[in-house]
Amino acid sequence: MDYGIEVRDQEAVIRLRGRLTFNDHAKLRILIGEMGQNKLKRQVLDLSSLEFVDSAGIGMLLIAREEMDRAAKQFVLRGATGQVKRVLTVAQIAKIVPIED
Amino acid sequence: MIDGTAQHMAQDTARPTGCRIHFAGLLAPGLPAEQRNELAQALRLSPTAAPPCPEDRPAPLVALLTGSEAGTGPDLDALWLPPVAAWIEPPAGTALSEPVIQLAEMLAEAAGNDLYLNLTTATAHDLQLGGRLLAALNARHPLTGDHRDDVELALHEAVSNALVHGNLGVAGMKELSARELERFSRDLGARLADPALAARRIAIAIRIDPAEDNRPLATVEISDEGAGFTPGPRTSTGASGRGLDLIAGISAGLEIEDGGRRIRMRFRL
Repeated sequence: MDYGIEVRDQEAVIRLRGRLTFNDHAKLRILIGEMGQNKLKRQVLDLSSLEFVDSAGIGMLLIAREEMDRAAKQFVLRGATGQVKRVLTVAQIAKIVPIED
Repeated sequence: MIDGTAQHMAQDTARPTGCRIHFAGLLAPGLPAEQRNELAQALRLSPTAAPPCPEDRPAPLVALLTGSEAGTGPDLDALWLPPVAAWIEPPAGTALSEPVIQLAEMLAEAAGNDLYLNLTTATAHDLQLGGRLLAALNARHPLTGDHRDDVELALHEAVSNALVHGNLGVAGMKELSARELERFSRDLGARLADPALAARRIAIAIRIDPAEDNRPLATVEISDEGAGFTPGPRTSTGASGRGLDLIAGISAGLEIEDGGRRIRMRFRL
């Protein structure tokens, strides 16, 4: 997995690309740090280019959500498709994290 | 010639009762040609330099993996397609007779299945095995759409569990915190760097049989050498703990055996 961050007026949009699995723990630690450091209150994870996510990847997204909550920032998942959308649905992540199309 | 005993062992064990595959040749892209030829001779197989074209319907091959193969690319991708039906990492010190006997035993195990894999944790960790096994299955029984995604996810989750929680003994992320993610990250790195843990094996045996409705049914058994676990009520309030639930929701059958060191899943193909 890799990612790029675009800081806009009202929100930071982080676009994830590739496959998000347990093996991406180091990248997620860095990403969560970067999301905490930018000043914007709304952090949007754009999943439209993410091809695959596993249960550990879901867990790391929930950690990111929790850390943003601690930093009083809003955390949103956006644009999931295919396998990623299906896993988010099966794991009922919408109950915990706002999900936008 | 390596050793007569090993040769007899290979001859005696490579054709067990219930044999499904008669391997014709051996590929070993990560080994020097001389060593590959020695092993092939000891195992009574033909050394093969590269996978033949699948359209020619050649006889099944076993690929010996050493972890030194290129990470990606067409050469490695072809290793996971027919006619290759088994992927085995030779035990350390294959110039000696004992490891050749172990290799012959793994080959005999492979012959009793339709697809078989036996690798060290260090090698398996870098291979994205869920996707590789899906490619091997898909080449034999094409899968499409959501079902294809589901089978890949279940394979990936089961392999990840066996490697991370089984062989490496890394505890799941229980708390939703960056500190817990850091702990997971640190433990995983440290355990992978431990030669004894990195040498632990993961074995995957896949059999494909007709189900009642004549559709093929794949039975996938994944075994590790970890401490095992006791299946119980699963919680998914932390960052970990969703993998088995996902597998259970996807597979047509899920059994956990050997104290949690072996998982058996079934999928309609």
